[in-house]
Amino acid sequence: MRAERVFGLVWLAVSAAMAWVALDLKAPISYEPVGPRAVPLLYAGLMAACALTLVLRPHAVAFHWPHGKVVHHIVVSAGLLLGYAFAFEWLGFPLATALLALLLGRVFGGSWRTCASGGVAMGIVLYLFFDRLLDVVLPLGLLQPLFGG
Amino acid sequence: MDTLNYLLQGFGVAFTPLNLALAFAGAFIGTIVGLLPGLGPINGVAILMPIAFAMGLPPESALILLAAVYMGCEYGGRISSILINVPGDAGAIMTAIDGYPMARKGLAGVALSISAWSSFVGGVVATIGLVLFAPLLANWALAFGPAEYFALMVFAIACLGGMVSDRPVKTLLAVLIGLSLACVGVDSNSGVYRFTFNDVHLADGVQFIVVVIGFFSISEILLMLEESSIGQSIIKTTGRKLFNRQEMKETNPSTLASSIGGFFIGVLPGAGATISSAIAYMVTKRVYDKDGSFGKGDIRGVSAPEAANNASATGSFVPMLCLGVPGSGTTTVMMGALALYNITPGPMLFQNQPEIVWGLIASLFVGNVVLLVLNIPLVGFFAKMLTVPNATLVPGIAAASAVGVYSVHATTFDLVLSVAFGVLGYLLRKLQFPMSSLILGFALGDMIEQNLRRALSLSNGEVGILWHSPVSLTLWIGAVAMLVGPPLLRRLRRGRAALAVG
Repeated sequence: MRAERVFGLVWLAVSAAMAWVALDLKAPISYEPVGPRAVPLLYAGLMAACALTLVLRPHAVAFHWPHGKVVHHIVVSAGLLLGYAFAFEWLGFPLATALLALLLGRVFGGSWRTCASGGVAMGIVLYLFFDRLLDVVLPLGLLQPLFGG
Repeated sequence: MDTLNYLLQGFGVAFTPLNLALAFAGAFIGTIVGLLPGLGPINGVAILMPIAFAMGLPPESALILLAAVYMGCEYGGRISSILINVPGDAGAIMTAIDGYPMARKGLAGVALSISAWSSFVGGVVATIGLVLFAPLLANWALAFGPAEYFALMVFAIACLGGMVSDRPVKTLLAVLIGLSLACVGVDSNSGVYRFTFNDVHLADGVQFIVVVIGFFSISEILLMLEESSIGQSIIKTTGRKLFNRQEMKETNPSTLASSIGGFFIGVLPGAGATISSAIAYMVTKRVYDKDGSFGKGDIRGVSAPEAANNASATGSFVPMLCLGVPGSGTTTVMMGALALYNITPGPMLFQNQPEIVWGLIASLFVGNVVLLVLNIPLVGFFAKMLTVPNATLVPGIAAASAVGVYSVHATTFDLVLSVAFGVLGYLLRKLQFPMSSLILGFALGDMIEQNLRRALSLSNGEVGILWHSPVSLTLWIGAVAMLVGPPLLRRLRRGRAALAVG
């Protein structure tokens, strides 16, 4: 119940921000009755109404936030995924994927050995499979000078 | 006889070696994705869609691959329901109720084979339905103007609001978040940049695949951290592998009825496999449960929801192909796939690109046969997939998702954005917002706004045009009924129950 209320308040703010940005959307020359501004404003208004309903009449949702250790895992995993996104081009797909598989695998309870060997295998096999076999171009990153030619 | 001709032409497309191979590959991948708890057809189709595009497959081949994955998921979900009592995807929830007890009685092989068979019946019956009804509906929809389309999309959203979640407010908010995300980018009518914050990466909007991967796959990874599904004991399939004639005879009527019912439920926009399998189970139980055997391993409790589940998955192609308004989360993603090829589904597709429509329909027949053939002998292999630990599986999902996102525009920006959506999606899913509604909103966003503005341009800003024609008026009434009806019924039932108690 409290969670719905908090979310409703946050989303009210988001809707307000969206409406505030949308107010500035004006077409230089207007030749249609409904310009670029109306629909976003309508959505923002409707979202605010929905959010307000959640604030005023929150239901008891059968859900619970995870316990301390799981929260820790979730934050770490989200951070790892974000790091993976940034490292994808820079380190290149094979290296970044091997690192991700090692670290994320550890969070999911794998042993160092299986995660490390699995990560190296995954980085190489998936790269060969997608880039070489299926023609989906993936970045080599730091490995570029070694294999890219 | 036009239809028959087109269908033969479609088989010509489906039987080319490339397309046959894709149907096989799709069916195989789909079954695995479907049986892994947490991964459903949307994840499978979303990850493969950009890859199929990047591989340079022609549109009909890409669609055949994705459809085979979709069908395969519906087949695969039942395996984990029966063997570990954890449904592999949402459509297979009902299958676990009787499938798992059957497996514990030593009838796992029978449960698996009868559900493969009823999945097949459901898929084929619904594909026949698709052949019969889709051209009619497409013809009728040709006369739709922007006002009718606008009303139709509101109707589709209302269907979701009334049925998907217990709180329509949350469904609506989810749809609105999707619609708002669709506003990002350059407005094609006026050239105004909306919500791009002067970032070049957002100029042509948020990529569909980024939204889908973020809200479905990345958020799923975070959700998986909460489950300790490691160390699931898988029931060994011993004894008979195949159902016998007696069992088939016993299930035939309910399988057939569930297939037909499931198809029509699938046609309704918004109502997907989950609802149809639930209804099929309830109805079958009410009709056949004379001695309380349901819930303890009744074979009809396994076959009926599986038939309905597969039939409705196929049925959800009808609104997507004929109207351009998808009937389920997965067909929404497929519409995104077609958009990559600059193809807009809808009535015109039947006239302009019949090879795509009929090739897809024919490949649904082929796919169902392939799946039946794959599923009965290979079930042991598929069951082994359930023993892959999360520590290997999850990084694999993350890497494949990233490849999907990266293959569209090859930017770090898209990857980062999808992770951000994943975190938001995790929070929304914890609060029980339905993600399929969000994605439908995002997919319909552009069309809904374009049709609204076009309609109002036609009438010079006079709002009445939106409900002027009988078709749009009917759709509006339907939309209101869908929103008001289910909660009202629930309240009535509760009132009656209270009366009975008091």
